[in-house]
Amino acid sequence: MTPEEIIAAVGGGLPPEVRCETDHRGVMLRVPPGHWLAALAFARDRLDCDFFDWLTAVDEADEGFSVVVHVYSLAGRHHVLVATPLPRSSPRLPTATGIYRGAAWHERETHEMFGIGFDGHPRLAPLLLPDGFEGHPLRKDFVLAARAAKEWPGVKEPGERPVPRAERPPPGAERPVPRARRRGPPHVPDGWGPA
Amino acid sequence: MTGGTPSTDGLPARSRGVIALLEENCTVCMLCARECPDWCIYIESHQEPVPGTEYGAGDPARAPAGRGRQRVRNVLDRFAIDFSLCMYCGICVEVCPYDALFWSPEFSYAETDIAALTHEQGRLREWMWTVPPPPRPEEGAPPPGEARGQVP
Amino acid sequence: MAAVDLPPPGVAGRPGTGPGVITVDAGGGCSLRVFDAGLACCGVEVAAALRRSGALATVTTGKQLNVFVVAGTVTDKLAPYVLEAFQDTPLPRRVLSFGACANSGGPYWDSYCVTKGVDQFIPVDVYVPGCPPRPEALLAGLALVLQAGE
Repeated sequence: MTPEEIIAAVGGGLPPEVRCETDHRGVMLRVPPGHWLAALAFARDRLDCDFFDWLTAVDEADEGFSVVVHVYSLAGRHHVLVATPLPRSSPRLPTATGIYRGAAWHERETHEMFGIGFDGHPRLAPLLLPDGFEGHPLRKDFVLAARAAKEWPGVKEPGERPVPRAERPPPGAERPVPRARRRGPPHVPDGWGPA
Repeated sequence: MTGGTPSTDGLPARSRGVIALLEENCTVCMLCARECPDWCIYIESHQEPVPGTEYGAGDPARAPAGRGRQRVRNVLDRFAIDFSLCMYCGICVEVCPYDALFWSPEFSYAETDIAALTHEQGRLREWMWTVPPPPRPEEGAPPPGEARGQVP
Repeated sequence: MAAVDLPPPGVAGRPGTGPGVITVDAGGGCSLRVFDAGLACCGVEVAAALRRSGALATVTTGKQLNVFVVAGTVTDKLAPYVLEAFQDTPLPRRVLSFGACANSGGPYWDSYCVTKGVDQFIPVDVYVPGCPPRPEALLAGLALVLQAGE
């Protein structure tokens, strides 16, 4: 099916709240959470997308999360992405395992990595993280603690003599260095860092 | 296996075995340490004044009217690469603007103590003697800058 | 059509045969039995090295040393099973850590789920650096295991 045919089918078969976007990869259906299962069933039955590829989430910062599913039609050779936005405070979605059984492990991984609940999932136990792991690692506010604990080798300016840790001034008392010159370790938020 | 050190003959050109440092070319710009994704290059340095460029040294070419600032240069105290972390991506070799880092195809430097996998300046210079000459350009490749007269 | 369940793997077939154990002739009447925990990409290099060096049919005389090779990234979830596999390696045994991930966490040193080196929970005798190391580097590392053991 060409993207135009897909968009036409969606326009005829799904409620108007479902919006379509196209780019070089294919068609993306943006659905409100209430129409999630209907959209997936539509993709499987009416768009011939019988191959379930992946389900994951995107942390959109202030806008909450988006759960995205990629399905493919083996006969029609077209890709379809289905996405739904979720609020940050308590993200929950009905499980897709009733429509695509292969979503089971993807939902487990998305649940443990982002903290998104999937109602009706047969077994939402952790998949990849060890027992006792706290937090949801793929959220943008989860800091990689190892980068904050190890001192970045590039923090010194060229020719800057290293000062032993015992002799360094306390953090507030340092001579201020112009912000543009002083660079910190990449991807470590301000305020984190070795004491 | 009971023979000597495995040979590096016959390995492809630009094989990534170990990284060597030519200290004379290093200006301590810190680019390699900053760009290394594994944070495995440790550099320590200090600044020293360059002799002959003191304020008002009297050389009009260097300090016209005696108002020139004393020149300083960076002196390398420590340059170490931790090969237990290194992932041999080559970003440090590529980013070095002064060609101080080179690839060497040597690969058998296993250790019984993990701390010995951090190679200091002396050992990194030893690896320089194993760096092969650059491979010949391919057929039809443009000649390098040195041949075109662009690099003195 | 409703979703269809496939039968779970392993029920109809036979269980796995365990870690790959290949015996390598180390010369001088000594052979090394290599227990390869091939966890990730480095496992391919270890497999190449062991195939090239050849597996002996039988070694009945001479000293035999068991070498537990950890080749690949050790995640926190997998660590207990790597420890079990190490404890199941018969004595006398040595441990060889192969590749940057097994040495220190390697390129994933800052990950939330990677153990920063297999020596965090098992004693390592030889570290082979590389990402991945060449197959010849494994053979050189095994030679160092023999030297260090004497």
